[in-house]
Amino acid sequence: MWGVLVVNIILSIMGYSVILNIVPKFKDMFVKAHLSGVDLNKKNKPELPEATGVITSCIFLIVMFIFIPFPFSKHFFNKEWGFPHQEFVQFMAALLSICCMVLLGFADDVLNLKWRHKLLLPTVASLPLLMVYYTNFNSTTIIIPKPLRFLLGHDLDLSALYYVYMGMLAVFCTNAINIYAGVNGLEVGQSVVIAASLILFNVIELNGDCWANHLFSLYFMIPFFFTSFALYHLNKYPARVFVGDTFCYFSGMTVAVVAILGHFSKTALLFFIPQIANFIFSLPQLFHILPCPRHRLPRLNQDTGCLDPSVFPFKEKSLNSLGRLVLKVYQMLGLIKVERTDKDKELSTGTNCTLINLALKLVGPTHEKNLAAYLLALQYVGIRHKVSVGEFVLRLLKFLKTLLNSSKIHGISGKVLSL
Amino acid sequence: MWGVLVVNIILSIMGYSVILNIVPKFKDMFVKAHLSGVDLNKKNKPELPEATGVITSCIFLIVMFIFIPFPFSKHFFNKEWGFPHQEFVQFMAALLSICCMVLLGFADDVLNLKWRHKLLLPTVASLPLLMVYYTNFNSTTIIIPKPLRFLLGHDLDLSALYYVYMGMLAVFCTNAINIYAGVNGLEVGQSVVIAASLILFNVIELNGDCWTNHLFSLYFMIPFFFTSFALYHLNKYPARVFVGDTFCYFSGMTVAVVAILGHFSKTALLFFIPQIANFIFSLPQLFHILPCPRHRLPRLNQDTGCLDPSVFPFKEKSLNSLGRLVLKVYQMLGLIKVERTDKDKELSTGTNCTLINLALKVVGPTHEKNLAAYLLALQVQTSKSNRIFNLL
Repeated sequence: MWGVLVVNIILSIMGYSVILNIVPKFKDMFVKAHLSGVDLNKKNKPELPEATGVITSCIFLIVMFIFIPFPFSKHFFNKEWGFPHQEFVQFMAALLSICCMVLLGFADDVLNLKWRHKLLLPTVASLPLLMVYYTNFNSTTIIIPKPLRFLLGHDLDLSALYYVYMGMLAVFCTNAINIYAGVNGLEVGQSVVIAASLILFNVIELNGDCWANHLFSLYFMIPFFFTSFALYHLNKYPARVFVGDTFCYFSGMTVAVVAILGHFSKTALLFFIPQIANFIFSLPQLFHILPCPRHRLPRLNQDTGCLDPSVFPFKEKSLNSLGRLVLKVYQMLGLIKVERTDKDKELSTGTNCTLINLALKLVGPTHEKNLAAYLLALQYVGIRHKVSVGEFVLRLLKFLKTLLNSSKIHGISGKVLSL
Repeated sequence: MWGVLVVNIILSIMGYSVILNIVPKFKDMFVKAHLSGVDLNKKNKPELPEATGVITSCIFLIVMFIFIPFPFSKHFFNKEWGFPHQEFVQFMAALLSICCMVLLGFADDVLNLKWRHKLLLPTVASLPLLMVYYTNFNSTTIIIPKPLRFLLGHDLDLSALYYVYMGMLAVFCTNAINIYAGVNGLEVGQSVVIAASLILFNVIELNGDCWTNHLFSLYFMIPFFFTSFALYHLNKYPARVFVGDTFCYFSGMTVAVVAILGHFSKTALLFFIPQIANFIFSLPQLFHILPCPRHRLPRLNQDTGCLDPSVFPFKEKSLNSLGRLVLKVYQMLGLIKVERTDKDKELSTGTNCTLINLALKVVGPTHEKNLAAYLLALQVQTSKSNRIFNLL
């Protein structure tokens, strides 16, 4: 087992150095192919190559291809256990899903597909995974997390819904990373932190009962970590390349794949707390309850050289009642700032509903380099304290249980406010 | 077995109709993304979307994904035989190689990679295939074709060279289809003919000893045939879309994959005789022994509306001795026509060394539609002759 892991690490490090070497050489080719984007938050607004995530993904795939014989070669595993056929098929299915996702993601970057396609593509790419899962296990029973067992019992057979859940997991991971972006190094950085955390989690669990699942996950996470880390060096402030939607798709799918096949998707989702928070916060804009501009990334203040939160303009009269409610709730919770810009035309602006803008609102105007550092630190802290978060959720659910037991429904609103 | 094949055919036909439906809708998106090419052999030189092969390939992959449970679901196969693990892994490896090839092929179409990359990409994409072959079989012995047995014996163990051969097969099939192009409908048409021929071959061999290999090949060739046939309707004269290098890569890799895993690569190569002939004929230009212009497709004669062979200009003095030898040999065999255009500057032209130009030289100026028909008929004739001669 350790021999195979060492080979995996060596191949990953080779992939790391290849990426650092070749990505800058592709710069002109990408720009010539009209795959470029303007770095809006720099004074000189440089044009950088876009979608370089496709190079990283291809190097990752090549590393995995070369690695294929090692875990499954007769020399490496114990013949008494028998050949691990099911793991071999899962391995191939996982690579197929990731490869397909990279293809579709790159097609999206090139062709600029519509938003509804962004939800469809990860579902298509996760088909091999679902099909192999059906053929191999068809186990659709989930173990209920301890805090909810009083409600739902020890386990629950979701049958077809489990496949919907798995499909949705891929869609969620890819798009959650995609919308939590806009600052140099954020998309890659968050992926690197999540990968490192999953690796640590897997290593710890290697001593447990499900060690085979976690070993399988390590085979993917280690190359993913090294290839993404190489791209991080090129994308962090000041960025020399943009990673594109291709990288977000690749990243989200790789994590979803190991989470599904390793049977630890609920734990993986705990590592996604900032992404989940950003997603929930963004929901009103994503569903156009509040206006959603094309870009919601922070804006550069030309004088100070720091970033300010970006805003969306709106007319209060053009919002429907739900929009006005959401606006008021967000304002009350201090999540956004609403300002009236023109009294006569009744124009107002509200800060865009992203975690990045919220961070800027709380901390004040910040230089892009520091903002990225804060957000990545948040990712890291969120993971380190997932236990604390878990305990918080546990306390919240115990509280709800008490409420249910006492059946004092009329008193609920008062008790919630007093929290 | 028949139930599974019927499901495969139904899914393939659905893929066929989806492609006919959606490819025209993507036209604007492709042109806007600068994925377009000019149809040089039309009077009005229209701009058509390029690399639409990526759509066909994706529909093919989706059909195959949906098909995955059927050959391997416990309901469909006989439990007494045991679960076909090795076939399942091969199936996934084949799809992985094809998917990777489509990704790399599309990247080539978008980024315009160099020629040396065109040789590297199929090798990379065939890695999963080679790795799974190594892990599953590691059988590197080939059966020598009957005509050569007096020289080499009944079989020969190639060991590592077998892997080189498999890698080269992928490189060859993809690029051979890629350079045998330039007339509306030719790339897709030749792929459709090859697919149909392989399907017939597989169906005949289902009664033989290696029926599982041929059944495996059918699972891929049937969807490949239907998806390519749909694209043929859109690419044949007068073309509404261009298929791009993406399609040539996809096509070559799919054939190489079934040929390798089905253990009938030598038979598959027999169906590639026009491509092989075109490749060998082109070698001097590909290796720059003779000058090689950017495009070698036939030229439209604006007055007659027919195609003439295209030429490459050269100075006899600038050719090295090998170049002059090749030029003389080709001229002697009647394969190319050399003309002196300017006596003072010693400029000459020679017809480009492709099978398409040779066909035009032999038949005379032809309308593009008829030329495509002649070349595809040649492809069909090759397949029919193979079955008659049964060289294996």
